[in-house]
Amino acid sequence: MNGFVLWAFAIGPALLAEALLARYEVLAYGAGWRSPTTVLPKGVPYARGAAPDGPPGAYLVYLDGIGKRRVRDSRDGGQLVKALLARAPELRVLGQVQPYSPLADPLADRPVWAWLQRRIGLLLFLHNVMQIFVAADHRYRPLYNRAVGSQIATQLRLAGYRPDSGIPVVLLSYSGGAQVACGAVDELHAQLRCPLLLIMLGGFHNGANDLSRAQHVHRLTSASDRIERVGTWMFPQRWRLFRGSAWNRAWRAGKITDHPLDPATHVGPRSYISPAAQLPDGRSHLDRTADTVIALIRADRGASVVTDDRPAPNHSGRRHRGMRRRRRVGSRRR
Amino acid sequence: MSLVVVVLLVLAGVSEAAGRILPLAVRRPGMPRTLVAGLLVAGGLVESVVFALWPLTAWTLAELVLSSPPSADGLVWTPGLAAPLVLAAVLAFPLLGPFLHLCLFVGVGAGLAGPLAAATGLGWWSAVGCVAAAGAGLGVAVEAVRRLVVGLSAMEARESRESIA
Repeated sequence: MNGFVLWAFAIGPALLAEALLARYEVLAYGAGWRSPTTVLPKGVPYARGAAPDGPPGAYLVYLDGIGKRRVRDSRDGGQLVKALLARAPELRVLGQVQPYSPLADPLADRPVWAWLQRRIGLLLFLHNVMQIFVAADHRYRPLYNRAVGSQIATQLRLAGYRPDSGIPVVLLSYSGGAQVACGAVDELHAQLRCPLLLIMLGGFHNGANDLSRAQHVHRLTSASDRIERVGTWMFPQRWRLFRGSAWNRAWRAGKITDHPLDPATHVGPRSYISPAAQLPDGRSHLDRTADTVIALIRADRGASVVTDDRPAPNHSGRRHRGMRRRRRVGSRRR
Repeated sequence: MSLVVVVLLVLAGVSEAAGRILPLAVRRPGMPRTLVAGLLVAGGLVESVVFALWPLTAWTLAELVLSSPPSADGLVWTPGLAAPLVLAAVLAFPLLGPFLHLCLFVGVGAGLAGPLAAATGLGWWSAVGCVAAAGAGLGVAVEAVRRLVVGLSAMEARESRESIA
């Protein structure tokens, strides 16, 4: 009974208010009432990793899960990005993109949200969840995609990316970041005309965004990842029945490869990015995830890298081309 | 109709208009705030009138169904029946908006069906039918007007662009 009262009079109205307010930012962006933020706080670089004076191997944009609320932070304290930078010095890595803010305005920098964070931190997660729903709603999706796509393109330019340079852009997304990554594909292609590689880590997305401009999509998943599975049940475009959906078209085109990272979970002490959970080979989950991401990027660039992961059967029971069976970048259709 | 009901219906109308205009404003970048506010007020008034007509239309349909005219005066909004309509903006709720909007109207319609059945002597299901038909008819009518306005405004915008070019 107490639980019901709490839901009916506290959490319920808060959810409703948040859901109704969630669209304000995309409305303000669309109507031009506010311009997106492009300048980063003092001391925050536009990219880390490879030096900006020479062309890097690839630009990697990390789109974090719903814990993202500042320019700097990520749910894991930045451990995944650090692991990637340590293993792949040829990458230029951007972690400042705000996937859940069309105005690129970090949640923790807004006075009201900063106040809420100190008292009801859960609301910040809720806000970002609602932003995923806004990004997935067909009425708001085109503008949301354009907003976040432009934000990523701007940050890439500020980090030294030159349109038409041919340097690959990797969108590494965690959880709800996958919705944003899929949505940004068209805008990034239009603005930068760059080879685009998507790597989803426990991706939660609705499968409605067109992926034809992406070179390939790598889905790092696990049978123990319940949150990702909820996404596959929740959104009809992810069901096999809807053969014409963007996601299913990409499957049939052989653009999607699964990489099982069992027994990792979506969050918690056994998550994909856990430095504590150990695998039989002695590596941590974080090590394996970082190794896999880097191997995929290098394989995409044509380097002959041998990894220990094999493509899993896709949802239609077929096996897609795995990493080691992929053709070299130069010979792939663009 | 009491003042409280009038205020509630106006709020409900503005709420419904907000639920419809916000997605539209998002799809049309560059809409000035004054235009959004103007659309909200105009749309809100139209929606309020449509809400006010719902019980009246349902009553008229019930009269057509009945062989002899009912003895009661008619079906009117009460504050309790009209209050949930203030949540009509839920239409703009991301992802689940249209479904929640439908649930809201089904609930309010079910609330209207009881008093209609009691006042006319119709069975509950017949009353539900009258309320649903009235709601659907008014909905179709207002949607037709909405599309006409959108079409005309799009035509005007096109003509103004051509004249500038």
